[in-house]
Amino acid sequence: MAGRLRRAAVAGLGDARTRILGVFLIVVAVLGTVVLRAFANFETVFVAALLAGSLLGRWWTILVPVAALAVLQSLDWTTYGGYGLQAMIGLSFFIVSGYVFVGILGRRVRPRIMFRVSSVALLTTISVPLTIAYDLWTASGEWYFITRPLGITWDLMLKGQLPFTLYHLLSSLIFVPLFGTAFLFLHAYGWPARFRGIAPSRPMDRP
Amino acid sequence: MAPRLTERTQAVLFAAVLMTAIAGLYGTTILLQPAPVRVHAVGSVRLDVEGAGWSIRYAPDATNNNTVFGLLLEASAKFGFTVAYLTYQIPQGVFVTAINGSMNGEGGRYWQYWVNGAYGTVAADHAALHDDDVVLWSFAASVEGL
Repeated sequence: MAGRLRRAAVAGLGDARTRILGVFLIVVAVLGTVVLRAFANFETVFVAALLAGSLLGRWWTILVPVAALAVLQSLDWTTYGGYGLQAMIGLSFFIVSGYVFVGILGRRVRPRIMFRVSSVALLTTISVPLTIAYDLWTASGEWYFITRPLGITWDLMLKGQLPFTLYHLLSSLIFVPLFGTAFLFLHAYGWPARFRGIAPSRPMDRP
Repeated sequence: MAPRLTERTQAVLFAAVLMTAIAGLYGTTILLQPAPVRVHAVGSVRLDVEGAGWSIRYAPDATNNNTVFGLLLEASAKFGFTVAYLTYQIPQGVFVTAINGSMNGEGGRYWQYWVNGAYGTVAADHAALHDDDVVLWSFAASVEGL
């Protein structure tokens, strides 16, 4: 039983480099979003979920957005918990499912992703409709659980959402190519420590 | 068949398109920012703060703090109560999170403001005051007036 679980974990989490990149994506998602808190809808969970799906695959497609949001949503709950348990659970459902969907869609384009300009361009291009779809989805949740009970119509909600979607698009257009290029490079070539085996074993100036 | 572009050409083209898109979106977000309030003296304004089981009234003869948020900060300095807030850069504005120890979310209530009975629709530091305005900060559960 334990052996089977271990084999499943190995298969699901991938090799050491995949695991490091997966954890790194979770850290990027959490830290980036916390640091950018003063800029509404500027966040790094979206790019982390997209890259997790398209570069790492396996369990990371779900694990990266869910782990990052476990931290970020608990912070949101402390700030906005006054809306009530049902509303917060509903909102969290829309947010988590939205980012998981981003990861799954990233997984769909995975076979075409290599360290090339066209791959970064592809990720950036799909991030635009995906950001709009994500915002529509979460705006639906916010309308249903928070603003609809206050008598606000769907039209008014969408009108209010528009500038925030522009901010979110700006965020995606900056972070997807930026982190996409960096992670595609790391995914394709690893990092210097990987080649430790062929590095000189002692300083060059010594006999 | 069109010749295939080199990686370098693709990178330059992609960067040009991306920069144009980012510049356009950034320009739009800047245009959407609320205009800053110009500082000028206002007279006979009044501030009422209604918390959970307590209230504060402040009515200076004149003040240069001619925004809803500025008047609240002036009152907090005068009477020694605390005001906690978050400052957002995009969209620009402050979000008041607590006044005099009453924090947003307690009992499902949040700090909201009204000017002359009209519900505040912009960030408090972008809501300009005029002579004889009456500002109410209320720790309320519902968004009345919308």
